[in-house]
Amino acid sequence: MKLGNLFKKEIKELLSPQAIFSIIFTCLLFVILGQFMGGVMDEAINNSTVNIRNLDNSEFTEKMLAALPDYGADPVIITEEGSLDELGLKNLVIIPEGFGDSVEKGGEKIKLQCVSLVNGGGLSSTMSSMSASSLIGSIYDYVDEYTRTERLELTEEELSLLDEPMIYAEYTEANGNTVEFSANMLQSVLMTQSMIAPMAVFFLVMMAAQMIMTAISTEKIDKTLETLLSAPVSRLSVLMAKLLAALVVALLNAATMIVGMLFYIQGMIGSAVQAEMADLSAAEMSADGISQAAALSELGMSLSAGDIILFGVQLFLTIAIGLSISLILGAMATDVKSVQTLTLPVMMMTMIPFFLTMFADVNSLSPVPRLVMYLIPFTHTYTALNNIMFGHMGIFWGGLVYQLIFFLVCMYMAVKMFTTDRLFTMSFSLDNRKPKGRSREKTAE
Amino acid sequence: MNEVLKVEGLSKSYKKGVLAADEVSFTVGEGEIFALIGPNGAGKTTTIRMISTLINPTGGDAFVDGHSVVKEPDKVRECITYLPDEAGAYKSMKGIDYLYFMAGLFSTDNETIEKYVRRGVDMCGLGDRLEEKIGGYSRGMIRKLLLSRAVMTRPKLAIMDEATSGLDVINALDIRKTIKKLAKEEGMSFLLSSHNMLEIEYVSDRVGIMAHGRLMVTGTIDELKSRFNAANLEEVFERTVQGNEAGQSV
Repeated sequence: MKLGNLFKKEIKELLSPQAIFSIIFTCLLFVILGQFMGGVMDEAINNSTVNIRNLDNSEFTEKMLAALPDYGADPVIITEEGSLDELGLKNLVIIPEGFGDSVEKGGEKIKLQCVSLVNGGGLSSTMSSMSASSLIGSIYDYVDEYTRTERLELTEEELSLLDEPMIYAEYTEANGNTVEFSANMLQSVLMTQSMIAPMAVFFLVMMAAQMIMTAISTEKIDKTLETLLSAPVSRLSVLMAKLLAALVVALLNAATMIVGMLFYIQGMIGSAVQAEMADLSAAEMSADGISQAAALSELGMSLSAGDIILFGVQLFLTIAIGLSISLILGAMATDVKSVQTLTLPVMMMTMIPFFLTMFADVNSLSPVPRLVMYLIPFTHTYTALNNIMFGHMGIFWGGLVYQLIFFLVCMYMAVKMFTTDRLFTMSFSLDNRKPKGRSREKTAE
Repeated sequence: MNEVLKVEGLSKSYKKGVLAADEVSFTVGEGEIFALIGPNGAGKTTTIRMISTLINPTGGDAFVDGHSVVKEPDKVRECITYLPDEAGAYKSMKGIDYLYFMAGLFSTDNETIEKYVRRGVDMCGLGDRLEEKIGGYSRGMIRKLLLSRAVMTRPKLAIMDEATSGLDVINALDIRKTIKKLAKEEGMSFLLSSHNMLEIEYVSDRVGIMAHGRLMVTGTIDELKSRFNAANLEEVFERTVQGNEAGQSV
């Protein structure tokens, strides 16, 4: 059958060793990511333990604590004093003195305190503050039910109390400071901050890498590079012109992309945060609360102009690394198919840390995976903003220095490649799979 | 005749001891058209790439207008132009812009650039098509554009790898005529490589036959024909290569 014959040929062509490698690689990537994310999720779930400190000690509160499992919460009772960090806790709900009395007899609204520890951008921090909120919900349900069933004779005031039996205040602890601010809201703010940057970095590096790789491999395959390099022009100028042009176009793209993304995130998360803010103020919860900016600054997490410049420098370095690696890889291409294969290492180096840092905090990984992640130069850029905000300046500076060294090594290799004949001999060695050594000349001829 | 190119024991060996060029020596005089011919893998392109300063020799040297390709590659690049086999040009560029771009690499003086480009425009014969993007050009048009680019700057030595490969008869003839004319009237020297014996017989003054990385014989076409008692260059080529293989197998 002719169709079968044709189909066999097409399959053979498409399933090249490179394609098979890509398939296996993608599969492996997902398996590894899945394993890793499973670990992160487990950790997040383990972190969802919720803690409670009872300062009331009334009979009502004791009964309520015993009944809470029926309301979907199973808090650990904490008796020791100290901050969350000192106690090794992620969250804590504090029941104030007089809580039971207030609920039973009515009177002033009670202020339940909910403190969450924020120590990274990962999923686990978000989970712990979410579970604390859910405990508050359970307490609310219990009190609500108690009030309705046990105290049927209600006055006007008591009715209003029934609607809103308590006010609770959320606190957030970070960098050793505590402010009255919802940890969930803080996480949303952090998300907007720590998502824009990695996304921009991801697209920027990928785009710049693809661009220069296509440019250099096309020149090589079309042999326009040979023409250029045999002309009276310094090889360094040829190299620099390529790098600079790619950098300019990448930055232009980045600028447009960041603007677009800002609008996107404004639309997606911004409105959610605003809605949450609006809800909170309606519930009079932020009456004595503070603004996001003030909360960030009190927690020592706001970014100064210097921080942003530092991040800018790092971003620049990151693109430069991406460009120089791609330049070297692109120059090794012998045909269009090999360009696809050569893109893989850069894809890997940008994608793996991008996805991981989106969900997990690299600093909380065990030493070996953490080292592997930090060996990838792009990881440092993804984690930079978090490291700055949480005061891990040692890791930040270490990363920056590592990136600088990485860039210099790459540039040295690129210059070496352009100023010696490796640019042409390297492709020879790629063809050196034929049994007779001399037949490598075939491609040259 | 002044020597424009002098190749002395030029060798290139790759790792694993493969010798792609083995002590190749020859000269090309002013206004002379010298052609390297040989089968695939003979070492023609490697030799040409070394003379074009693209790859570094592992032994010997070549001098273009007295400048060593090893010690003064920058000076050599000022004297040569190189047209690679099956070379393309920037597809998104207009033909005329390509000529300006390339002229700009050989001079920074606007007047000189204009002069080069005018010459390139005259020589390629593409007329109004030069205002179109190269992406729309046929193979013959691209080759003509590249050839005129290679000679518009009046290099001392124009190096052309398979100058007419893949072209139809008319286009190939045009290019051969141009090369002959430039050598004769302007004294430009050419180093060519080709599989096409007919072309070589028509266009070149002297030829060198390469096999297995070595330059087996050099001489004018008539010299070689009488030495090998051959009717044409194809026979000379056949006898040289076969003789070499017989010698190798002993």
